[in-house]
Amino acid sequence: MTVRITVDGAAYEVEEGRTLLQALDDLGVLMNGVEVPHYCWHPKLSIDGSCRLCQVEVEGVPKLQIACDTRVTDGMVVHTKSERVRKAREGVMELLLVNHPLDCPICDQAGECKLQDYAFEYGVQHSRSREPRRALEKRVELGPTIVLDQERCILCRRCVRFCREVPGTGELVVENRGDRSVIAAFPGAPLDNDYSMNVADICPVGALTTKDFRFKMRVWFLDELPGVCTGCSAGCNIHAGVANNRVYRYVPRRNDAVNETWICDAGRMSYREIGSASRIHHPQVRGADGRLTAAGLGDALAVAAARLRAAIEGGGAEAVAVLASPHATNEDLLALRRFLAALGAPPESAGVAVPTGASDDLLLREEKAANAFGARALGFGGADAVIERVRSGAARVLLALGHDILAPAHLRGDVSALALLDGVILLDTHRSALERIAHVVFPARHALEKLGTLTNAAGRVQRVQPVVEPAFAAWSEGEILLRLGEALALPGFEEPAAWDPHAVSKSLGEELPAFAGIDVDSVGHEGLPLRGESA
Amino acid sequence: MGLKVPHTTNYLTEHFGDDGFVSLKGYEAQGGYEAARKALTRMQPEKLIELVKDSGLQGRGGAGFPTGLKWSFMPKDEDRPRFLVCNADESEPGSFKDRILLERGPHQLIEGILIAAWAVGAEKTFLYIRGEYSEPARVMQQAIAEAGESGYLGQGAMGTNFSHEVVLVRGGGAYICGEETGLLESLEGKKGQPRKKPPYPAEFGAFGMPTTVNNVETFCHVPHIVRRGAEWFRGIGTEKSPGTTIFGVSGHVVRPGLYELPLGTSLEQIVFGHAGGVPGGREIKGVIPGGMSMPILPAAELDVPMANESLRERQTMLGTGGIMVMDDTTCMVRVGCVIAHFFRDESCGQCTQCREGTGWMEKILNRIERGAGEEGDLEILLDVSAKMEGATICAFADAAAWPIQGLLRHFRDDFEMHLRHHRCPFHEGFRL
Repeated sequence: MTVRITVDGAAYEVEEGRTLLQALDDLGVLMNGVEVPHYCWHPKLSIDGSCRLCQVEVEGVPKLQIACDTRVTDGMVVHTKSERVRKAREGVMELLLVNHPLDCPICDQAGECKLQDYAFEYGVQHSRSREPRRALEKRVELGPTIVLDQERCILCRRCVRFCREVPGTGELVVENRGDRSVIAAFPGAPLDNDYSMNVADICPVGALTTKDFRFKMRVWFLDELPGVCTGCSAGCNIHAGVANNRVYRYVPRRNDAVNETWICDAGRMSYREIGSASRIHHPQVRGADGRLTAAGLGDALAVAAARLRAAIEGGGAEAVAVLASPHATNEDLLALRRFLAALGAPPESAGVAVPTGASDDLLLREEKAANAFGARALGFGGADAVIERVRSGAARVLLALGHDILAPAHLRGDVSALALLDGVILLDTHRSALERIAHVVFPARHALEKLGTLTNAAGRVQRVQPVVEPAFAAWSEGEILLRLGEALALPGFEEPAAWDPHAVSKSLGEELPAFAGIDVDSVGHEGLPLRGESA
Repeated sequence: MGLKVPHTTNYLTEHFGDDGFVSLKGYEAQGGYEAARKALTRMQPEKLIELVKDSGLQGRGGAGFPTGLKWSFMPKDEDRPRFLVCNADESEPGSFKDRILLERGPHQLIEGILIAAWAVGAEKTFLYIRGEYSEPARVMQQAIAEAGESGYLGQGAMGTNFSHEVVLVRGGGAYICGEETGLLESLEGKKGQPRKKPPYPAEFGAFGMPTTVNNVETFCHVPHIVRRGAEWFRGIGTEKSPGTTIFGVSGHVVRPGLYELPLGTSLEQIVFGHAGGVPGGREIKGVIPGGMSMPILPAAELDVPMANESLRERQTMLGTGGIMVMDDTTCMVRVGCVIAHFFRDESCGQCTQCREGTGWMEKILNRIERGAGEEGDLEILLDVSAKMEGATICAFADAAAWPIQGLLRHFRDDFEMHLRHHRCPFHEGFRL
């Protein structure tokens, strides 16, 4: 059932039973055409109704009403720009600032602070108060990740509701009452859950900051670039905060079909993998002395091609064991499919091994790879058969994309399983146990250093784009495979071709029906479900 | 020893001088529980609600909401358990009437509760008593036990198939727990913070169930209305405000105390005729008519009849009938400081205007009293109080704003003298 409402003269049809703010949010016009400033209301938390900033005028109702808790009714006529509304907002803003420390110059939130923004937009430009401001604690550690500045807090209680309603851990409370109220954790029970850092995102002011980001970078220097978290297969949407070609933070980007407005702490911290010191910085080839040494891409390709050619000549495509990466993009993996086809091997002959870890009912998925679902959707098989071929000696060369096959989940560091191999060719982003025994190593780009798509655990295809440019030589797995195909002069790889992820992405749909109409340029910033998936 | 009652008595307090009246036997001797018997055995709940509506009884907890109407809000034909709550959190400064009703007439209250429970179909009443009221709590607990043993409460009250239980709950000691939804939160074991409305308690009350919350005195009127009829009740008091109420008179009067009088009795009659006027031959300066949250009246307006309709014309309200008399030695800025301090201290802190406004007002008032007031302070006070009015989850912010507005309306000279002389022009004996 829908009802018709009029807001500032514009007519809207909205779902019955919604409150005004919910209805405006559903329409996508809240703070995006219809300005109803608010603090305590958050689209994914229960209604609090305490900040009183979202007051609007509803025709036929004598008092101003708070839009967050006023249900829409058919024929409702709302004014958000009237003089009464303007005055009411001004009043709330003035009161919120009476005790605020106004320490914006040293506040991390400055630049993305709703108190700053709304004071500028809806407040008065000077304070009438001559009274001393409330003095409270400036640095309270609420837990291992979050610091509270009690003076800056406007007591919207979003953080309190978040802990109760989202992770369900309820660590935070309002202690004391009146203007002595402060946010606090229970003694001996710090704010410590898998989602704790979200409270800093939803804090409209600089009261809650993450220990990780605070004092690192002024936010106005950051470009907030859309991306997808690669911490697990949930595919939470993020903004990567980038300055000076460096990622300083991830913050969740709202996508109601995936992560709503949240991200787990582990995923948030996974931005560090991009600039990590353990990145593989250049192609390497193992020399006669048994040591890996830096090499040019051409040399590395030549060595890899020679190893592969020797294996194929000895035992055909069977002699090449291939591990497909659950971290690579769908486009990279399509390139792998083509490479395998040129070798005469079916895609299912390549295996996908996915690292695993803790999961929950909220966002955390067991598979700790961003494109595990995509790799399977592209037809790659399980890793066990591939490992068996390696162990048995049937395979002479291992071509591993983004895999630490020696990781605890697989070979548990048992190097002897690889003893019969003539060569290990590795395409990966980070150093690993496998890298230490590989013969040729190619540095791969991180998912947020390239253009492409990732398919999350629910089968939703989402776009990634380069948010930073690696400060060293690194390539997409797809591009390295293209070059390797050329070096091997495989059928279909005769003509040197540029790596064009747009074009590769377009052909996903041609080769795989599930991708029909879905490519990097059509999925937008919120993604699209694979055909046949409800995500 | 009987209670010495210099007070004027009427039907509520008639027997309060008799110690025996506290006991079930004493209460029964005065016709106690006959009204409940009549209601439960001979009156349909709808008829009872009609009777209370016809009587014109208004809630005595401060807001003066029509009691019968409130009862009629309880949803019909629902399986959910229904509750009554008796608000005995009496915490309005200047009010002490419920205490005497609890201590001296516990069975009158239980009878009123029982009748109301029958009317709204409630299975249980939570009697929420202010934490500091230990003696009233003791008396009530004993009376509840007696009423249970004698078959008034519990399974099959008075031989009917109606059952009702009264559960006594001690409050934690916050003013805001007297606000009905703040009370419900506290009752549920949570922090006493008013709920946003709707949903109203009749729909979503104690533990989420349909609930009616009434003040102690409101319940106490009910047996008398049932016994003697709506017409009798309407014959007392004014046309719009029938019945008596218990005025609590405190401050600069010769005989402070409780006076049960018909609504509409003039303030002058109460202060001079009953409470004996101001001692020491001094003059009255101002009177707060209904508990601290109600705006003050100047001496010139003591002719006002003490009923909501007439008090509203003077921009104040009956509130809880707590009358506070101040003589001409009183500094109205200090009065403002005391009031503002109380409301700052008691604000629950949820809503911006209340949390920040109460503190700001107190700071300004204290500064004026110290002699550090500046031009523009009074305008800011009025403006802040206006911003607090009608804009928050509950009426606490209004209760904090109105008395300051009242002081500035009638005693602006006091404030301006402070500003002009940069000190308090009143005697030095008083310290905040």
